[in-house]
Amino acid sequence: MGSLCNTYFENENVSLKDYYSENIYTWCTNCGNYGIAAATKRALVAENIVPKDTFMCFDIGCNGNGSDKIGGYRLHGLHGRVIPVATGAALANRKMTVIASGGDGATLSEGIGHLVHAIRSNYNITFLMHNNCNYGLTTGQASASTRPGIPMNSSPDGTTADTMNFMNFVLSLGASFAARTFSGNVDQMTEVIRAGIRHIGFSVVEILQNCPTYNKDTTHEWYQNRVYDTIELNDFDNTNLDSALNISKDMSERIATGILYVNPNSVPFDQRLENRKGYTTELVDEVKSYNNVSQELFSRFV
Amino acid sequence: MNPSEIKRFSIKFGGESGQGINSLGEILAKALKNSGYKIFGYREYPSLIRGGYASYQIDIANDSINSSSQFCDILVCSSRRSVYQYLRDLRPHGLLIHTLTAVSFKPEEQEFIKLNNIRVKYIDALTLAKEQGGNALMSNMILLGALSEIVGLDLAAVEHIVSEQFADKPKLLEIDLKCLKVGHELNIADYPLTYIKHEGWHESKIITGNHAIALGAISAGARAYYSYPMTPASSILTYLAETSHESGMLVKQAEDEITAAQMTLGSMHMGTRAFTGTSGGGFDLMTETISLAGIIETPIVLVLAQRPGPATGLPTWTSAGDLNLAIHAGHGEFPRIVLSASDFESAYSLIQHAFDLAEKFQTAVVLLTEKQIAEGLYNVKDLPQDLEINRYLLTDNGQTEKAGLRRYEFTEDGISPRWLPGSDLPQYNANGDEHDEIGDVNEEALNAKLIAKKRMKKIELIKQTFPEPILYGDNDVDITFVGWGSVKPVVNDIRNLLSQNNSDLKINYLHYDYLFPLKTEKLLEILKTAERPVLIENNYLGQLGHLITAETGFKFNEKLLKYDGRPFFIEDILNFINSSTNG
Ligand SMILES: Cc1ncc(C[n+]2csc(CCOP(=O)(O)OP(=O)(O)O)c2C)c(N)n1
Repeated sequence: MGSLCNTYFENENVSLKDYYSENIYTWCTNCGNYGIAAATKRALVAENIVPKDTFMCFDIGCNGNGSDKIGGYRLHGLHGRVIPVATGAALANRKMTVIASGGDGATLSEGIGHLVHAIRSNYNITFLMHNNCNYGLTTGQASASTRPGIPMNSSPDGTTADTMNFMNFVLSLGASFAARTFSGNVDQMTEVIRAGIRHIGFSVVEILQNCPTYNKDTTHEWYQNRVYDTIELNDFDNTNLDSALNISKDMSERIATGILYVNPNSVPFDQRLENRKGYTTELVDEVKSYNNVSQELFSRFV
Repeated sequence: MNPSEIKRFSIKFGGESGQGINSLGEILAKALKNSGYKIFGYREYPSLIRGGYASYQIDIANDSINSSSQFCDILVCSSRRSVYQYLRDLRPHGLLIHTLTAVSFKPEEQEFIKLNNIRVKYIDALTLAKEQGGNALMSNMILLGALSEIVGLDLAAVEHIVSEQFADKPKLLEIDLKCLKVGHELNIADYPLTYIKHEGWHESKIITGNHAIALGAISAGARAYYSYPMTPASSILTYLAETSHESGMLVKQAEDEITAAQMTLGSMHMGTRAFTGTSGGGFDLMTETISLAGIIETPIVLVLAQRPGPATGLPTWTSAGDLNLAIHAGHGEFPRIVLSASDFESAYSLIQHAFDLAEKFQTAVVLLTEKQIAEGLYNVKDLPQDLEINRYLLTDNGQTEKAGLRRYEFTEDGISPRWLPGSDLPQYNANGDEHDEIGDVNEEALNAKLIAKKRMKKIELIKQTFPEPILYGDNDVDITFVGWGSVKPVVNDIRNLLSQNNSDLKINYLHYDYLFPLKTEKLLEILKTAERPVLIENNYLGQLGHLITAETGFKFNEKLLKYDGRPFFIEDILNFINSSTNG
């Protein structure tokens, strides 16, 4: 990775300015979200996806406050619910590129059930998990990914519950695509998001995000000194789930990033539906009278 | 009119859950219907898989009926518990058939049997079935055979249904048919049916209210259903899944009701027609989604199949106790629509209107039903007429002009132009945070006021679009009932019974399908001259009554409320009329 690809800015059908918004960002200075927003736009342009074909869903949190700072169709929903609303949308029109964003607070608390079942169902969307190890928007409470012993808003003596390793959890569920990246590395983020978009199935992208205001523990510099790209490893096979599980464990010394796992045989949810096999249309195209069907079904009653 | 003058015949099967009571009732119901009789089926069962007591009652009348009687003429029991549970539901001169080698009645029960001239007949169904090579379940066939002889039903009609039902098990079918014959030859009593047989009625169907909702939705182009199992909504999910190969509908059992509601909203937002269904407990979990639909102005349709709460309450019983829930669910102020089904036809039509209204007014529509409707077994000939499908989208007429388009435009009537993601029109943000006309976050006081006003304006327009409540019966009557939901067919059946009996007492009934926002013009007009207005509801509070009072100041002096998990039976209403007019 690394070499700047010019399709990040200008592509056949779309350029970066098409995703431009005049609205002024409301994030803190040096927030990881700036890099994430830039990488998301670049990835969409590099994949040549025009804004009208993009549907971005945002959870509630600092990440969600970016919902009106980017082009494309968008939905800014409820805390913890970004995955189900995005999957419902994606199933209705598979031609749209659907990207869901949510924080670690939302994803690992209110939304954790949705995450588990979305992985099982393998809905074809890309999920960007903004892991800044705290509740940013509600001013710095601990989340399930906050490390032990760190005083946080509302837990001055540190958290009393053990820390979750998000990527390891996701892999333990057999996600069909699992990548980890760092908000300080826009190029890697861009490539990883692109791969997530291209992957057919539920693509989980964990973004290790610095939070300059409330997370004084795992800062930008802290990550910078620890992350490495698995692409640099000679013998890492990212189609091997066990290797991925293994390499995802370390979250304190050497932190693996890049595409940690891809299931080459991923079958997305919509292709698992026996009754939809052979349909070339989308649910949004199919709204019309089915009186013939209901009459036929009615006639089968005794 | 005295309850003993009711022109109806009722047969009840009682037993434990797991004894095949349901299929016993179903076979007889279908055989009766195929022979030309108009029927209505009612099931009671506990929230458990084995044991307890369950029943299946079939009411027969000369005209179309859509309600049950509390009492029956023939009671067939295959468990001890059900004998004691249902004995007192027998009408005078009724017949009790049971399969228990030894029953001992308490003195009060013996007294009841004697006083009411109840005949008690024992059939050793198990032994008879075994003699034919059958098992415990096949003793049901002995009972069916006996029963068809008792009521003078052609055995061939029963054999036909049984043969269809067990066609895939030819060996067992042979024994079933033998058992039917043996039962038929028992000749234990005579209760010949004297009701009108209707020409061509064998073509009618026996079908539940949940089937009506499912078929109505299929016909209206619903392409996705997301749900989580909960009685009495579950059979919508089951049926839509079973028919998904024919309909092509995406049917998903979600991991919970929050997910079901959110997926529905996502699919609707993208532009297909999708819906969800649940009961009160699941609906509680959907309320945040309703609130979101309110602010992003995305249509959503939710079926709320009521059963008695609070909490798990009485899972398999009926209630109309969630009107308040439907009206108030979700935080914040936003327009919403609440409709209520009352029978098969209205369930089929209203789910279609729900989609239409949701898309027209870009908001949440809740369709209420009750266990009594959801699982009530209606005898109907045809599906109602479909509602024409309109999507109310800007792009319906091929709009391509982008200039000046604002998804949340502050329009005169409050309805803003809507177009779908994927359209080549300006992309917008459906923002659950308060926003301006294009969907961007906006916390200014003036904008907050203007957009709230814009959304709330829709309420007036919805009211104008809504039909007035329907008045059944003449204007000049002794009692005017006002209600909603499954009370409609019961009161109307009573109206018919009264007029058939040339009763001096006359009633009419004002019925609400369109509950919220509440229309009150016609109601007030009728109340002005009504002799005795009576509120009738299947709940404790009289929730529609409260809504009427809140809207108009009118208070009902008389209320007929029932909140024991049972639907209104015709006797409930007759007794009310009798006690209040005689005394
Ligand atoms: C149902 C509900 N509960 C609580 C909140 C308050 N709330 C807003 S954002 C947030 C947490 C945000 O943390 P995270 O998801 O990690 O996102 P971040 O702000 O860090 O990007 C909470 C609890 C809410 N909006 N809705």
